[in-house]
Amino acid sequence: MAVSEKNILNRLYFIAGCMFIFGIAVMVKLANIQFVQGDEYRAKASERIVKDFVIPANRGNVYSVNGNLLATSIPKYDIRFDALTPTSSIFEENLKTLCDSLAKFPGRKTSSQYQRLIRKARANKNRYLLLAKNLGYLEYMRMRTFPMLKLSPFKGGLIVEQKTKREHPMGGIAQRTIGYERIDEEGNVTRPGLDGAFGVKYLRGTDGKHAKQQIGKNQWKPIVDYNKIEPKDGLDVYTTIDVNIQDIAHHALLKQLEYYEAEHGCVVVMEVETGEIRAISNLGRTEKGTYYERLNYAVGESHEPGSTFKVMALMAALEDKVVDTATIVDTKKGVKTFYRRKIYDSHHGGYGEISVAKALEVSSNIGLATIIDENYADNPERFLKYIDKWSLNKTLNLPIIGEGKPVIPKPGDKLWSKNALPSMAYGYNLRLTPLQTLTFYNAIANNGVMVKPRFLKSVREFEDVVEAFDKEVIKSKICSDKTLGEIQEILKNVVERGTGKRLYSPHFSMAGKTGTAQTEYWMEDWKENKRYVSSFAGYFPVENPKYSCIVVIHKPSTQKGYYGADVSGPVFKSIAQKIFTDTPLIDEIESLEVQHASVKKQFESYYNTAQTYRTIMPNVVGLPAMDAIALLENMGLKVSFKGSGVVKKQSVAKGQKVKKNQNVVLEIS
Amino acid sequence: MIASSHSADEKVHEIARLTNEVKEMRSAFVDGRSRLMRLKMESAVVAKMKEKGLAPSVIPPQKIKVKSKD
Repeated sequence: MAVSEKNILNRLYFIAGCMFIFGIAVMVKLANIQFVQGDEYRAKASERIVKDFVIPANRGNVYSVNGNLLATSIPKYDIRFDALTPTSSIFEENLKTLCDSLAKFPGRKTSSQYQRLIRKARANKNRYLLLAKNLGYLEYMRMRTFPMLKLSPFKGGLIVEQKTKREHPMGGIAQRTIGYERIDEEGNVTRPGLDGAFGVKYLRGTDGKHAKQQIGKNQWKPIVDYNKIEPKDGLDVYTTIDVNIQDIAHHALLKQLEYYEAEHGCVVVMEVETGEIRAISNLGRTEKGTYYERLNYAVGESHEPGSTFKVMALMAALEDKVVDTATIVDTKKGVKTFYRRKIYDSHHGGYGEISVAKALEVSSNIGLATIIDENYADNPERFLKYIDKWSLNKTLNLPIIGEGKPVIPKPGDKLWSKNALPSMAYGYNLRLTPLQTLTFYNAIANNGVMVKPRFLKSVREFEDVVEAFDKEVIKSKICSDKTLGEIQEILKNVVERGTGKRLYSPHFSMAGKTGTAQTEYWMEDWKENKRYVSSFAGYFPVENPKYSCIVVIHKPSTQKGYYGADVSGPVFKSIAQKIFTDTPLIDEIESLEVQHASVKKQFESYYNTAQTYRTIMPNVVGLPAMDAIALLENMGLKVSFKGSGVVKKQSVAKGQKVKKNQNVVLEIS
Repeated sequence: MIASSHSADEKVHEIARLTNEVKEMRSAFVDGRSRLMRLKMESAVVAKMKEKGLAPSVIPPQKIKVKSKD
């Protein structure tokens, strides 16, 4: 077949055509990827290198009233070890010294135990061996100086993980009231105390968001992000807690609990005028017999108050004018039957006929039960009206979660019976929280103004006050001035000569009421194993009260004692003592330039003698030793003397000439 | 372009390092502060002074204050 020119051209056209079509196909595909599928691919690409990051907001701090930190967030460190990273020469060389250091700190195991642990990890190819958890910064820095761990992470195998933890610099003190906010894996939140109560509203802040681009292993660079959200740090909360008072209250309570082996107890100190809580301590016993802040008993536990409630009962009767303080009540011989039930007084043999005021001073159950039963048995509502008026049947509406509910029975309730009223008169058959009782006593101290207990002073952002909290008045006057004065007088006498007289101190004044209530008396074993709640509520100083305070101790060991004055009273007293000794007594004087005629005269005669006598001996008999010596030594004489006081005799007589350095002997007595 | 991007990256590393340092300093501060707080609490001082035979006074200090003349 001849190869013609036309034949070749045809082939050429064919190939060129094929290439052209191929080219078109490539263009089409390119356009498809670029424009049709482009967005999808671009999104996929950025997904791998750009990520949204949450910028956590810093949680606010909790401060005491004097600016001490009570709760703050700080980083904590977990130390882990990659057992495969070190080369065998480094590993063998450093293992022993490392383990010696580990045995000293954190010191959970001995050096050889640590060696075995780490060798095992290396054999098992464990690249994530936990060495220590929750280290503070200084401890972490210490571990970084250990052999092997001090090498770079790529040589030594140290892995550090940092996380933010809530820390209470005061330790166990007031921990329950300061509180925390904890979210577990299932998202359940527990939030006791102030940190918990104000967490959402103030402390938490809001997290921010920002896109970042990956620029290396675990290194991300923030990029321009129009959807960026700045984090808003939480606000700082200033509480009303005073660290110094809190410290005293905590340790005083702890001492009593330990001595009396009590089950639990609480103490609250409140500033009378403002209702600010200065200290609150709640300690519960562990199985080992140690104590820690277990539950917020002062806020959460409503219990039968016992004798501290007698004050409310008598106040109602006085205010209602059914009795006055001088009315005589017959307390019999320590036992009296009410509606076929016997009521006893703790004093054996009873008090006989005493005045109403005396009945409260000596805390006579029979006395109070008689007063209330005689006057209100026909019309209990009239008595209960006062309880209602003083808001004792309502919660205080505190911000802390889990406030205990008071129980005050009414006629018609399940708890009501004929005996309910006389029982209530001495604090049984009803329930109050310690903080409620304190609020009432505080009102007595505050001349009848009932203020709500407060834990918060202000909320701040750095130095700026975002929100300030003022005192809240529950009731501007709980009773007439006359009743108030009478009750104040009785409370003062309780400490001076009544059930609280063992607390009396000649140095400072206190007023208050003791309480010793039986608890769990409905249980069958009560007779063999008696259980009591000992309390003391009151205020100090008596004239112009500054603080009110309640101490409640549950189930002290009855062998050691159970009376309110013995168990709870000392806690109250040591707080009162401490605040008394911390406040200096101030004497004001008008001026330092006081002119005393006799001083002036003495000085003038001294001055004259000093000016006149230069070489002749003056008469110094009758002068104070200090003046005589100064006078003579200024003349250049050598003075020797015996005794102290006033000059009796001088060895050189008056008027004789004296020379420099001559000896003079003075007799002083 | 490349140089400025690099310098930006460098700044990111610097910031990361400084943030860590801030955290560490803060942590050291709180650590020191809480130790100080425990040391200066009255109960701690009382326990320490007991060894030397000192105890807190039962009577408050007396202050004499001179009123200013104006």
